[in-house]
Amino acid sequence: MPLQESVLTTLRKIVGRDHVIDSANDLRIFERDASIEGAAPDAVVLPATNDEVAAVIKVAAQHRIPVVPRGAGTGLSGGAVTIRGGIALQMTRMRRILEIDPVGQTALVEPGVVNQELSLAAAAHGLFYAPDPSSQKACTIGGNAAENSGGPHCLYYGVTTNHVLGMEVVFADGTVHWVSGDAPDRVGLDLCGVLVGSEGTLCAITKIKVRLLRVPPTIATLLAAFPTIETASQAVSAIIAHGIVPAALEMMDQVTVGAVEAHYHAGYPTDAGAVLLVEVDGIAESTRELMSAIRDELTANHGYALREAKTPVERDLLWAGRKGAIGALGRIKPNYYLHDGVVPRTKLPQILSAVGEIGEHYKLPVANVFHAGDGNLHPNILFDLRDREILHQVESAGEEMLRAVVEFGGALSGEHGIGLEKSAFMPWVFSPDDLRTMHQVKDAFDAEGIMNPGKIFPDPGRKQARMPGRTGLASEAQWW
Amino acid sequence: MVVNAPAVEKPATAEELAHALHEASESRLAVTPIGGGRASEMGDPLERCDVELHTSRLDRVLEHSQGDMVVSVEAGITIESLQSELFRKGQFLPLDPFNSPGHTIGGLLAAGWTGPLRQRFGSPRDFLIGIRLALPDGRLASAGGRVVKNVSGYDMMKLHLGAMGSLGVIVAASFKVFPNALHDVTVDIACASFEDAWAAGERAMALPLPPAALELLSSGRLMARFLGSRDAVERMVSELRWNRADPSIWVEHSRRGPSSWARIAVPRHKVHSTLTSLPAGSEWWASPGVGIVHWSVESGVETVREARATAEAAGGSLVMMAGPDELRRKVGAWGSPPPTLELMMRLKNAFDPGRTLNPGRFVV
Ligand SMILES: Cc1cc2nc3c(=O)[nH]c(=O)nc-3n(C[C@H](O)[C@H](O)[C@H](O)COP(=O)(O)OP(=O)(O)OC[C@H]3O[C@@H](n4cnc5c(N)ncnc54)[C@H](O)[C@@H]3O)c2cc1C
Repeated sequence: MPLQESVLTTLRKIVGRDHVIDSANDLRIFERDASIEGAAPDAVVLPATNDEVAAVIKVAAQHRIPVVPRGAGTGLSGGAVTIRGGIALQMTRMRRILEIDPVGQTALVEPGVVNQELSLAAAAHGLFYAPDPSSQKACTIGGNAAENSGGPHCLYYGVTTNHVLGMEVVFADGTVHWVSGDAPDRVGLDLCGVLVGSEGTLCAITKIKVRLLRVPPTIATLLAAFPTIETASQAVSAIIAHGIVPAALEMMDQVTVGAVEAHYHAGYPTDAGAVLLVEVDGIAESTRELMSAIRDELTANHGYALREAKTPVERDLLWAGRKGAIGALGRIKPNYYLHDGVVPRTKLPQILSAVGEIGEHYKLPVANVFHAGDGNLHPNILFDLRDREILHQVESAGEEMLRAVVEFGGALSGEHGIGLEKSAFMPWVFSPDDLRTMHQVKDAFDAEGIMNPGKIFPDPGRKQARMPGRTGLASEAQWW
Repeated sequence: MVVNAPAVEKPATAEELAHALHEASESRLAVTPIGGGRASEMGDPLERCDVELHTSRLDRVLEHSQGDMVVSVEAGITIESLQSELFRKGQFLPLDPFNSPGHTIGGLLAAGWTGPLRQRFGSPRDFLIGIRLALPDGRLASAGGRVVKNVSGYDMMKLHLGAMGSLGVIVAASFKVFPNALHDVTVDIACASFEDAWAAGERAMALPLPPAALELLSSGRLMARFLGSRDAVERMVSELRWNRADPSIWVEHSRRGPSSWARIAVPRHKVHSTLTSLPAGSEWWASPGVGIVHWSVESGVETVREARATAEAAGGSLVMMAGPDELRRKVGAWGSPPPTLELMMRLKNAFDPGRTLNPGRFVV
């Protein structure tokens, strides 16, 4: 439903006429994020300040118009999709790094700052911002905070929520507040902790204060080949059981390695059933000792062709393969459906063989490239959207994979969020009582439901899960 | 006013606990959840307490998956029993609160206490991965899960950490745990003056492998703990040139819990000025790298008010951890209300509209 002309006029007054988009053609650009489903907004509004954000939200609240904050649109669960129309609140004009404090080791940024830009700016002070989604060249810190994003180095360093010290946010009534800040243990309820990861459904984030870390003096990166995914998974468990938590511990299966090697020529062993990329950092004594223990564990678990990067260039090449893996898979099929689920780490071999069987059953190629150390898998279903029939198959296969994740005691998402994509599956894990507590939080912040409606919670008006009810494990383990 | 002694309930299961809570709430009785009682003087004096709801019988380890490094426990288990279970499997939970022993997990999470290891491992905010609560309406609700990374819906765990049981009673929790360090060395040093000690602490924190815990005491003593690979730890220890100390000094340290004490939390760069502004001769211990100072309060109301004003001006807070009712009533346990109090109240009203839980004790 197009917005009333009077509303559009007000919005133009707030942000300037060039910063409201309402032509059908232009709106189509904002239909989707990096996931599959799309729906065009009625208007795109690009604010430049927190006051403008507040004023826009006030107008929306007054007219009950949905507001969907949007960063770079790299989200993989449909979080930024305006499924009920309304205003796409495009935050990328707010892209200043406001402050880097090298002594306090913090940064204050606007939400549209691109993840990698922050780390590059911090590097001048010997610091870095730890959460590093593979999309870090494009995704925004605001989007990261809204999704509580992770990345390869989150195994040791933790995810976004562990690095956000405080935020300035605008709530559904248009009020602007700071939540948390530099000091630990603030008095009262930890609102900041709840707002991080709330996927734009509770507030728009207008400033973020994050912790920066000192760049480690030495980084050692090693690639190892394995005959099978099972042996590689066992090696992962063995390293951790040894008492080592590496900075990153990433796995790629044979399909992925083939595509990556064809694209990057990084020297990945294409005959391997799986490869592991292991990184440790710290002082030289530490990386040397840890790497030697890691090598022992890798070889004891059938690892071969161990290759340690000797120069920063070699290291970057090894990582380019990992971080560019999703793009490289385009060589196999033009489209992909990237899933995200987490299992207890020891269940990795079982879940990966279940994923493989589901792919075979649907005759769909599946590539796995994921954060093995966390048990965070990313089965990537490859297909060609020009084949109209196939999307349904792809979705069914994805649903079965997720169901398997939950059956193994896992979670629906480790880092991409629930958004539109997984809302129907929430009842697999959470009981009606569990979900009601989340609803109470939503209602406390946004009683009218204008912030990013139709996300996270199951929507009776939309697609339902084919497999209903809670899974055996979820109902058994009631205490989780 | 006739004050009756509160009824004491010791449910054996989470369901029983939820039932007891619901019954009390229906009868408009005020409930105080009690774990180990180690933080029983934290917060403002209760307005009412009709029922003491003890978690002491909920003391089981529900599941410890060693390979996954995840443990799930009932809320009434003490931190010591949990640690000894984990220790047998070469793991630990990096939570080492003061006024030990005897804290229960549920009590610790609700009170939001942490210890020296926070320097390296963060607080439960960073390693609590699942929670189960009993709510005043009788529901048992869970959030999170048993995996180390999870963004399925809102992060409900955060709402209950440090919330003093004002929204619900924690009945179970799951944690990400950590492998025992390959090498673990404790060192300490006694300095002649505060400034010397401060400078020595700064030097330790600037090491390329900073200590996992660093405590500075009002006596001028510093204690540090290095965790990591053998060669790295040994190099740090020899560069620092403090004295090797017995690890049992951490157990002694964790026994601190004066009859009247406060937690001052400030941004890290304000710790020095916070310490120098405390009354001369004060006894305190601090984690400078975290931004936390624990102050043994021996002076009167005015001094506490002044210290709080300084902490709040630095963007922080001063919270009473324990002390006589009289003092806590006069200075208030929490200080200035947070600017987002109205939002916090909305959450309180959603979960505990009858103000059944700990009425008057917390900011909501
Ligand atoms: C190739 C590829 C690789 C990826 N790798 C990873 C990875 O390794 N780890 C990982 O965690 N994710 C990964 N992602 C997913 C995605 O990049 C992250 O979710 C990222 O944080 C999204 O940021 P964005 O700026 O694109 O947000 P968007 O997609 O624009 O929005 C995401 C959500 O955040 C909300 N939002 C955005 N900005 C704000 C704001 N200022 N205030 C309030 N809400 C806001 C939106 O409403 C939406 O719900 C990957 C994606 C791609 C395409």
